Amino acid sequence: MTRKDKKQEKQALRRSTTDRDEKKRKGKRKADGTADVRARSRSEAPKPRGSDGKSKKRQKRSALDAPAPVEVTAPVTPPSGSAIDAEILPHVGLDSSYELTADGDDFEALSADAPELGIGSRVVAPHVRFEDEQDDAFESFPATVTPSGDVEDQIRALEARLDGLIQHASRPDNVVPLAVPPAPTVEAELEREPPSAEAIAVESAAELAGSQYYVQKWGRKGLRSRAEEVDEFGLDRSFDAKLRPVLDFIYRRYFRIQTEGIENVPSEGRAVVVGNHSGSIPIDGLMLRTALRTDHPASRDLRWLAEDFLFYLPFAGVFMNRAGAVRACQENAERLLSRDNLIAVFPEGVQGIRKLFRDRYRLQRFGRGGYIRLCLRTRAPLIPCAIIGGEEASPLLYRFDALADLLRIPYLPVTPTFPALGALGLVPAPTKWRIKFGEPIQFDNYGPEAADDDLLVGRLSERVRTTIQSMLENGLQKRRSVWF
Amino acid sequence: MSEERTSPHSIRTASGDVIRVSGKRRVVAITGAASFLGLNLIGLLEDDPRVATIVCLDRSAPPTVGSKSRFYELDLVHPAAEERLAEVFGAEAVDTVVHLGLLESPSRETTHSHELEGVGTMQVLNACRRARTHKLIVRSFTWLYGASATNPAFLSEKHGLRARNTDPFFRDKLAVEEQLLRFRQPGQGRVVTVLRTAPIVGPSVDNFVSRYLRLARVPTVLGFDPLWQFLHEADAVAALKLAVDRDVPGVFNLASEGVLPLSMAVHLLRRHRLPLPRSLLRPTLGALWLSKVGDASPALLDYLQYACVADTSLAKSRLGFVPVFSSREALSDFASAEQLREVKLLSETPA
Repeated sequence: MTRKDKKQEKQALRRSTTDRDEKKRKGKRKADGTADVRARSRSEAPKPRGSDGKSKKRQKRSALDAPAPVEVTAPVTPPSGSAIDAEILPHVGLDSSYELTADGDDFEALSADAPELGIGSRVVAPHVRFEDEQDDAFESFPATVTPSGDVEDQIRALEARLDGLIQHASRPDNVVPLAVPPAPTVEAELEREPPSAEAIAVESAAELAGSQYYVQKWGRKGLRSRAEEVDEFGLDRSFDAKLRPVLDFIYRRYFRIQTEGIENVPSEGRAVVVGNHSGSIPIDGLMLRTALRTDHPASRDLRWLAEDFLFYLPFAGVFMNRAGAVRACQENAERLLSRDNLIAVFPEGVQGIRKLFRDRYRLQRFGRGGYIRLCLRTRAPLIPCAIIGGEEASPLLYRFDALADLLRIPYLPVTPTFPALGALGLVPAPTKWRIKFGEPIQFDNYGPEAADDDLLVGRLSERVRTTIQSMLENGLQKRRSVWF
Repeated sequence: MSEERTSPHSIRTASGDVIRVSGKRRVVAITGAASFLGLNLIGLLEDDPRVATIVCLDRSAPPTVGSKSRFYELDLVHPAAEERLAEVFGAEAVDTVVHLGLLESPSRETTHSHELEGVGTMQVLNACRRARTHKLIVRSFTWLYGASATNPAFLSEKHGLRARNTDPFFRDKLAVEEQLLRFRQPGQGRVVTVLRTAPIVGPSVDNFVSRYLRLARVPTVLGFDPLWQFLHEADAVAALKLAVDRDVPGVFNLASEGVLPLSMAVHLLRRHRLPLPRSLLRPTLGALWLSKVGDASPALLDYLQYACVADTSLAKSRLGFVPVFSSREALSDFASAEQLREVKLLSETPA
């Protein structure tokens, strides 16, 4: 009997949150069109954490009302513990993004026991003593009579009446009408049909009036969505938006970039764009990103893989990272592709950007073919891409290799303007750029195990390299001038 | 009490099944019980009916000691600590040891910290060997992966620990990891869970990262703005509890969802950055460290320059740990408590 009281007390503490949760769920169900009340059974297979907790409570509730002797098996946390749960539960239950990946019974059990396991339990500030009356709470259950049971019943009765009235007033056609329950029993409450849209609106309005609710739900939701300001690879959306007019100006007016065959880039799904690295100041990644955003029909979001040295540089590294550059490594590329992103790779690497002006448009070695392995492993199509014009924008006349080694940068460029005009000399010349996208190359006829075949990777890499080289030569022949 | 301990204990799951947790309820020993994580874990375990006894070991009694807890005064640095630990583990029939008697922040007293980390851990591990305690949970740091420009965006548990060996704090931590590697070698039937946490922040925790972010002007490295991730203190304690409850051997990275640039973290705390060139910061920090004024060693500068972000997918899939707070929420929780402290509405000093 005393245990029952304990339970009731615990429930009462949790009531506010549970009901809110329940209403929200009901609303959702209705929106989904599942009006069948009976289908709302306890045997839904993969349950999110919120619903788990709820059905658990439901069972407890039905156990309470049943006259049969109550067998308490669930762990009963002492009063202070349940208060903590009630305080913390809302965001555990409400937020569906926190579903566990329930791939076994184990996990389901875990999610159900989440509050007991301590997920979301409050942290006790140091030097705070636990109250002494909670001692032995589990062991002996002191017989205290709490009035919470009566209050609970009253609230339930009132709720049932209110719901019934609202349903009566505005009964939607698609819901099977049910009589207003004569007595607000637990079963009736459980079997009752979900409240109508108006009822939900009224309830949510009442809930919204409470600041606590706002803070707990919408405050968190708002925070969560704003937390996406920087994505996991460092792209800052708001910075990107600010930068956009500048990039568009450079793209349209400064370099007057023309694209050719941009429809070869798929509108959705993963793909790898492989291009020649151009110019001693590598802004080709940024321009490629702008090209796909402005000229591609699906306005694709491209992330380009940048060499390691960029991230050692102050300012430039952070700037490029916030603008969308990702450090070139297999882990990052695979992670991006597994989320169906579009990525750009410049396999020439540092060799490509440090080549002298006389070597322009002559593709350097294509690394160790990491990008081919990537395509084979992730089954992503490869789109060869030739960027013409970029290699004249900041022509590299000479490299101070000794000084570069001293400064620990891959190369120190000497362009017609750079050391002479100071930092202003780093501004690239307004050449005319053309970006050509070739036919996508599919590697579907190779399995993922082909990625470990070094000979094959080398052969494929060479094939891609010659494709891009011929595209470059083709484009160079066709153009009239570097400037127009 | 004894029949209570062996009585079958069961839990009703959401699907209505009654599962028996185990025939025997757990006896958990916590070293470093008076540390922040320790005392909060005791609080959680006190509430859990599946835990029979909590054996608290530290130099001073934690304030959360309740009816189930038994406190033993013990200094891990003491030469006879191993003996006493083994004795206590045997007498109390301890089945799970949570080793939290490790440093939370770099300390200038490098001799003591070296003793505590290296010798203390050794004594705990040896006591476990002697008492045949097979389950051990140790807390470690994701920062041990080292901050570097060549790090992938997410460091998995397989990534090597590349933190600077020159720094005494990281050197001792790396030595602890090495000891653990030997201890948890397969084939010995031990369940060793190593929890590598991201910097823990929250309303009440206090460590070198929260102290750094709390500075009036937060010094940063000019031209760098690394991505940071955090872990809320409640999530950290919850993860420890989860590791106690479930026997999952292995190493797990624990961090909240999402990353934040350091500049945004400082901004969220309503502080201002003080960007200084690395060439100036490094000798300054070194001088402050040597003159025993500052408590940050120059090795920490790496973390102000480059990202050290851990991949937490393994903790999610194998340990079942899903943090409640995102990195940003954890930080804003810390910020709100900080604001209250500023206007003297929150007087409790952080531990």
